[in-house]
Amino acid sequence: MSLFEKIFNYQIVSRLDESGAFATTSQERIWLQSMLSDPAATEAFIPSTLDKLRLMLADDDPLEIDGSLREKAGIPASPVYHPLLRILRSILRSRSGICMSYRMRNGRVHERMSGFPYKLEFSMVKKEWSLLWYNRRHRTLMSTKLSSIVTITEEEIPPEETEKFTQRILGILESRKEQGIIVIIPMYNVELSRILYAFSCFEKEVEYVQAADSYRITLTFQTDESEYVLSKIRFLGKRVKVVQGSRLISRMKETTARALARYEED
Amino acid sequence: MARESFDKEIQFLRMLTLTSGAYNRQQFADRLGISVHTFDKTIRRLKEIVQSVQQQLPAEQGHDFNEMLRLNYYESADPLLLFLFRAKSLKETESVRLALLLTALQSQPLTTMELLDACCEGLPAYSALPDEKTIRSDLKYLVEVGVVRKEPGGRPYRYAVRNDLVTELTDEELLDLYDFVDVMANTQLPSVQGYLLRDHLKKAMRRQAGAQEIAEPFLYKYHYYSRILDEAHVHPLLHAIRQRRCVTFLYFSAAKQSIYGSQNTNPLFEKETEGREHTILPLQVIYDHQYGRWYVLGHAGGKGIMKFRMEGMTQLAEGEPVSEKRFADLLAVLEERTRYSWLVDTGRAVKVRVRFFNPEGAKRNFIRERVLLQGQWGTITEEESESFIYEITVNGITEIKPWLRSFGSSCEVLEPKRLRQEFKQEWKELQAYYEPIRENI
Repeated sequence: MSLFEKIFNYQIVSRLDESGAFATTSQERIWLQSMLSDPAATEAFIPSTLDKLRLMLADDDPLEIDGSLREKAGIPASPVYHPLLRILRSILRSRSGICMSYRMRNGRVHERMSGFPYKLEFSMVKKEWSLLWYNRRHRTLMSTKLSSIVTITEEEIPPEETEKFTQRILGILESRKEQGIIVIIPMYNVELSRILYAFSCFEKEVEYVQAADSYRITLTFQTDESEYVLSKIRFLGKRVKVVQGSRLISRMKETTARALARYEED
Repeated sequence: MARESFDKEIQFLRMLTLTSGAYNRQQFADRLGISVHTFDKTIRRLKEIVQSVQQQLPAEQGHDFNEMLRLNYYESADPLLLFLFRAKSLKETESVRLALLLTALQSQPLTTMELLDACCEGLPAYSALPDEKTIRSDLKYLVEVGVVRKEPGGRPYRYAVRNDLVTELTDEELLDLYDFVDVMANTQLPSVQGYLLRDHLKKAMRRQAGAQEIAEPFLYKYHYYSRILDEAHVHPLLHAIRQRRCVTFLYFSAAKQSIYGSQNTNPLFEKETEGREHTILPLQVIYDHQYGRWYVLGHAGGKGIMKFRMEGMTQLAEGEPVSEKRFADLLAVLEERTRYSWLVDTGRAVKVRVRFFNPEGAKRNFIRERVLLQGQWGTITEEESESFIYEITVNGITEIKPWLRSFGSSCEVLEPKRLRQEFKQEWKELQAYYEPIRENI
């Protein structure tokens, strides 16, 4: 199976697009066929669609799963679909509002909050879905785990409101942006690729300072993600040092002092 | 296009996305081991591809190429690196012909002669017309990749295009399919075929929706997109494993400055590459969720089990097969040696014992949750109100170290003693990183 088949060529693809033609290769169907055996498929489709798809793909053999591909240091297989996804994405696509009751961490339930949904976000680390939405009463951007949602209904919103909320959300996201500059200690330049791979899930800019033979990585992230950023920085240990971003720096100081205290008795 | 060119483009794109414009042209070319001229040529080519694949992008038109490849979490739902797999060069005439054939087949099955006619009609007046033989070989190719199927029944054979995923599904069903493909491609391995399918479905949906903009509802937090590039090697390796065949490749270790070696056909320009040629019997492909990297583990005659990062591999070629028995024996050795590997380490088995401290004053014990979620086969052995003990036996301690360190002061290493000493020393050095620099008075 070559991912470089000429049928995937960009010129063919753009020509087919112009003429409105559609075709799938057996590679794509085989992939889909294997994915349909995942429990997620039963959440993603109504039974009749699933049957239809399975029938359509019956001629293609599924990918051979023989254990030669392994995943390590991840989270054990966990469901990647949530029953609410189908309901929510149609609300999102029609740009409607929502009326929602959801449980908070302390167990209390917020009743019938009215809001505007923005995106469905899946965390690759925690393997869970959250709804990003704008709370109309509190005028804030919220992130609520789908598993905490008790009830949710669609609510109509006039188009001009939709636009207003979208702009407000973008404004909030922008205002929550934080930056930090991390330098790679030149001694560890040989590990450049490993370090950049570890940071490749963030929005970033890399600068190479030739005079110092060192790399400066400017990370941009949301304020509430800073704990995750810090865990990545600690993960890399002596290879990197935070040189800008007062919060990251003070948290690193605090961590090193407290961690050292754990080993004091030695 | 030669295989070599893909290797170059993979390395090129990887470096471009990872370093996101850190180098100037000369530095970039040096690191990659190519000339500035080749650098310019490659950039031009990639830009051309991006433009024709991403025509529909409205706002981002003005963006610089580097800018386009940069991860912009809230804006880009499309994995841009996918276009690597679209980069295969094709003769203009061939791409026109294949597209015409598939377009003609959209509404009904046709015979070779009917297709020849449709193709001739569709071609511009000035171009040379294809003959029957060419159409036959095109059809043979399309059947081979499964885009077209030969209809049952006698001669003359009719060919039908495999577009039922779009024609047989209702709009609502198509939407469900698109979302499913989107979620699975972004969360499961392998993903490239899923992304290709997602691309196709998206175009079909866009046509159905007309001018209406399709909102992308999904975001994937902390996704390692660069893994897409390495999938180029994953499938050939899995194929070799299934066939029990050896592979050879030129390997560039991360410690080397240059990450690519061009194959020069002219002996005058031949130079020593920094890469090393290896021949191994691949046994297992491993994806590391911690860094988002792919590895291949295999057996090299005389050297035993070896591990390679896929990003360092170029010029991969399949070689001789081995017997089923030999493969099984070597696989058993590998399984034994990696039974306790945090990732791919085949070092000696060591018992690691650490104390994790529960967060103070927090409503949720997120430390414990994280340990249970990410701690692989390790177990919690003792629990107290402020802390708990976690134990795990691993092959070598290097691979688990970053994970333990990422917990900061919430983790104290108890055993082995050597690891405890290392942690103490590292935290000391890290503390020095953040101490104010005293001015000389």
